[in-house]
Amino acid sequence: MASHPAPRRTPAAVTGRIPRRTALGRGAAATLAAARALAPTLFVGCSLGIPERARTVPVGLLHSQTGPLATSATPLRDIELHAFELCNAAGGILGRTVHLSAPDPRSRADLHVARARRLLDAGAVAVFGCWTSQSRKAVLPVFEERRTPLLYPVQYEGNESSPWVIYGGSVPNQQVLPAIDWLTGPEGGERKKIFLLGSDYVFPRTANFIVKKALAARDLAPVGELYLPLEQRDFKAAVARIVAAGADCVLNTVNGDGNIGLFAALAAARVDSERVPVVSTSIGETELQTLLPEQVRGHFAVASYFQSIDSEANRGWIGGFRREFGHDRVTGDAMEADWCLVHLWKAAVEKAGSFAGDDVREALRDGIEFAGPGGTVRFDPKTQHCTRSFRVGRIRSDRQFDIVHASPAPIEPDPYPQIAFPGWKCDWTADGLTRGAEVPIDGDV
Amino acid sequence: MFEDLSWIYQIPPRRLALLSIVVFVGFYWAGAILLRPFFRLFVRSTPGGNDIVGYILSCFCVFYGLLLGLIAVTAYQNVAEASANVTREAAALSALYEDVSRYPEPFGRNLRWLLRDYTRYVIKYAWPLQREGIIPQEGTIRAEAFHDRLLDFQPTTPAEQILHAEALRQLNHFLECRRMRLFSVKSGLPPAMWYVMILGAVLNITLCWMFDMRLLAHFVLGGIIAAYMGTMMYLIIDMNQPFRGDVSVTSEPFELLYQRMNED
Repeated sequence: MASHPAPRRTPAAVTGRIPRRTALGRGAAATLAAARALAPTLFVGCSLGIPERARTVPVGLLHSQTGPLATSATPLRDIELHAFELCNAAGGILGRTVHLSAPDPRSRADLHVARARRLLDAGAVAVFGCWTSQSRKAVLPVFEERRTPLLYPVQYEGNESSPWVIYGGSVPNQQVLPAIDWLTGPEGGERKKIFLLGSDYVFPRTANFIVKKALAARDLAPVGELYLPLEQRDFKAAVARIVAAGADCVLNTVNGDGNIGLFAALAAARVDSERVPVVSTSIGETELQTLLPEQVRGHFAVASYFQSIDSEANRGWIGGFRREFGHDRVTGDAMEADWCLVHLWKAAVEKAGSFAGDDVREALRDGIEFAGPGGTVRFDPKTQHCTRSFRVGRIRSDRQFDIVHASPAPIEPDPYPQIAFPGWKCDWTADGLTRGAEVPIDGDV
Repeated sequence: MFEDLSWIYQIPPRRLALLSIVVFVGFYWAGAILLRPFFRLFVRSTPGGNDIVGYILSCFCVFYGLLLGLIAVTAYQNVAEASANVTREAAALSALYEDVSRYPEPFGRNLRWLLRDYTRYVIKYAWPLQREGIIPQEGTIRAEAFHDRLLDFQPTTPAEQILHAEALRQLNHFLECRRMRLFSVKSGLPPAMWYVMILGAVLNITLCWMFDMRLLAHFVLGGIIAAYMGTMMYLIIDMNQPFRGDVSVTSEPFELLYQRMNED
C-alpha cells in the first residue's frame, strides 16, 4: 500500500488566511488603540458628550492695543469683552460660548491685514474692529473675500459701503455736517473762520472735503487746512498757523495721541476756548483722560453719545462696565456704538439661527433695533449703517461733557451725502451700490 | 504617548485617583488569572523559588519606591516653584501699581488702568488657558502696552526721575516673573521618566505574579500593592503640570491684588 505524503501546509499568502500569531498581534494592537481613543470619552464624565472646545464659537477683536491709537482703541476691546462675557454668562449665543481672540495690530494698517487673516484662518465668524479708516480700508478686501462680517464701531467719513461691513458709528451727515450747521448757527456762535486740522489719512481728508462743500454752500471757505502725520506729537507750528490765520474755530479731526500735543500747544499759545473753540470729532471721554483738564476745558466735541447723558439705561450701562473694569473707567461714543453693534449682531445671529455671514446678512435685511445706552439704534439694511443721534458736548473740568446741543431724533445714515458725492447711493436690499462720477477729495471744492 | 494626555486633567481628582487604582488593581488581577499559571511553572521548577522571588522583589521594591518617591518630590517642587513664581509676579505687579500711583496725572491713571487690565486678563483668561496646558498669548500685549505707556513718561523733576527709575526696575522684575510663569505652564516630567516608571510598575507586578500562592491570596496581597502603586501614580500625574489638576497653582494672589486695585 502506497503511503500518502503528509499534507503540506499551504502558505498563508496563498490561502488568504492570517496566521494566528499575526491575528493576535493585530488584535492586541487594535484593542490598545481603541482603549486609548475611547479613554477620554469613557473617563471624562463617562459620556459621549461633545468636547468643550466644540461648543464655542470664535469671534475676533481687532483693536490696536499698542501704538498711537491704543488709547482710543483699547476701550473698544474692553467693551466687547464685557458684552460677550455677559452673553456667555447668559448661556452664550445659539447655545455656544463665544471664544474671543484679540491680537494686537499695533496701530499699523499692514498688521491689521495680517491679524485679520489670522483671525479668519482660526475660524472667526465675525470680527469687531479697526479704528482708523486706513486700517478698515486695508482689511476690507480680506473680509469681502472670506464673506465674513467686519463690525466697525467708529465714526468715519462715509463715501464707502461694503456688503461685508456693518457700520456702527456716525457718518458725516450724522456728525460733521450737523456740526457745521451748529457752528455757523447762533447756538454755535456763528463762526465763519473755520480752520480744518487733521491727521493725514483718509478720514480727516474726506470729512474735511465734505465740510468744505458744506461751507461753500454757505458762501464760506476754511481759513486754513492742515494735515499732520498720525504719529505727530509737536503741534507748535500748527497752532502758530491757526493763530496766524485768524481762525475763530478749529474743526479738529486729529486722531490718537496727537491730541495730547495739540492741546498742550494750544494751551502754551494761550488760545482761549471761548474765542477760538476747538471742535473735535475724534475726542471722547477716553481720550480726555490722557489730557490735562486745564488744557481742554471749554472746548467742544461732537458725537452721538456722551457719558453724561442723563438716563436710567446709560447709568445702568456705565455701572455695569465700571463694576467689571474699575470705578474710574469712562465710556465714550465709539464704545457705545460698539456695545450696540455686539447686540445687533447677536440679535441677527439668533434671528438667522446661524453664524454664517450670508445668513446673518439675510437676517439683517428687515432691519433690527437695539435700545442702547444713548438711545435706540436702528440698523438700516440699505446702507448697512445705523441711525445715530447728534450731540455737542462742552468739556468740563472733570473731563466729562456738558451736552449743549442734541438732535431731536436719531438721524438716518447717508454714507454718500449728495452735497459731496452726487449720484452715489447704496441699497444693499436692492441694486447694491450706484456709482456717480468719481470725486477727487483732494481737488478743488 | 505622553504628549496628549490632556483629557486626564479633565477628570475630577477623586475619580482620577479611583481610576488609577482600578487600572492598577485590574491589571494585577487580570494578570493573576491569565498569566500567573505560566509564571508559576518557572517558580515551581526551581527549589525555593518563592524565596528567590521574594528577595528579588524586596530589592526591586526599594529601587522602585525610591524612584517613585524622588519623582513625587520633584513634581511637588515643580508645583511649589511655580506657585512661588506666581506669588512673586503678583507682588511685583502690586509694587509696580503702587509706584505708578505716584505718577502725575494723567499718566498715573492711565498706567493704573493698564495694570488692572493685565491683572483682569490673567485671572479671567490666562488662568483657564493655563489649566488646559496652553500658554496664554494676549497677556504679552497688555504688558507691552503698559511698557510703551511707561516709556512715554518724561520725568521733569529729580523726584520723578527716581520714581521712574524705580518703576522701570520693578517692571523688569515683573516681566521676569511673568516669563517664568509662562515657561512653567508646560513644564512636567520628561517622557523618559514616565517610561521608566511604567516599566518599573509592570516589572513589580510581574514579580508578584511569580509567587506560588492561592489565587485569593494574590487578589488580596497583590491587590494592596497594586492599589498603592496606583495611588502614587495618581499623585505624580496630578502634580506633573503645575497649573493643572487638583494639586495646582491657583490665581489667588492675582485675585487678591485685583480686589485691592478696585478698592483704591
